[in-house]
Amino acid sequence: MERRNFLSMGVVAAAAILVPVTDLNAVNFRETKPKAWEAEKSADAIKALFGDAALTPTDKIKMVAPKLAENGGSIPISLKSDLDIETLAFFQDANPRSATVVFTVPEGQKVNYSFRIKMRQTAFVTVVAKTKDGKLHTLNKEIDVSIGGCGG
Amino acid sequence: MAKKMKIKAKEKDGVVKVKAMFTSLMADKEEAEKKNIKPEFITYIVGKSNGKVVFEASTSGFMAENPLLKFSFTGAKKGDELEFVLTDNHGKTQTGKKKIK
Repeated sequence: MERRNFLSMGVVAAAAILVPVTDLNAVNFRETKPKAWEAEKSADAIKALFGDAALTPTDKIKMVAPKLAENGGSIPISLKSDLDIETLAFFQDANPRSATVVFTVPEGQKVNYSFRIKMRQTAFVTVVAKTKDGKLHTLNKEIDVSIGGCGG
Repeated sequence: MAKKMKIKAKEKDGVVKVKAMFTSLMADKEEAEKKNIKPEFITYIVGKSNGKVVFEASTSGFMAENPLLKFSFTGAKKGDELEFVLTDNHGKTQTGKKKIK
């Protein structure tokens, strides 16, 4: 009996390990990492999302963002990179919660994204990219916001 | 998320450039309280072409209102269809299709 229990446990464990691998191309980070979306500080959100791995500053990712944003309700950001990126996450420290958007880059595609964000006040924005080899790259920039967005 | 989404996709030299605009208030808890509305924001966007995922993002309410996304991808031709599926914080989904020009 004990042996049977042990075996079935093994099957369950194997299934649990296998699922994220087969489902790599469809990760809803809001469901898989709910903690990361509640974190206040960028550092905590990064930890919740990517774990404790070391962050290396990089210049291989190009971020275009205004130094001074007049309207905090709509700040255009664009990200571009030639690295083999798996996951690209964007954080800011201005709002009650830090995580803003997490891109899963499909196999074989390059990063070339533009989007707009809201910021309540002047703060740092942080980009964290996880490359295929599992390394984490980061870069940040301060954006001055003169009129806060986000309903403030 | 009642209104339609606007999608533009153009192929040139094997690279498809996409502009997409989704209709959503993108109001997170705090903002919704101030405006006296229910929180409403898109949480998950997925873009597919030829059965392959070409774009995928999990978002929070701190994207700007009516999020406009621009991105490019490879591996699709003119006439192929691009499909977007949105999921919002209430679990509602919305789909939009457009042929690549």
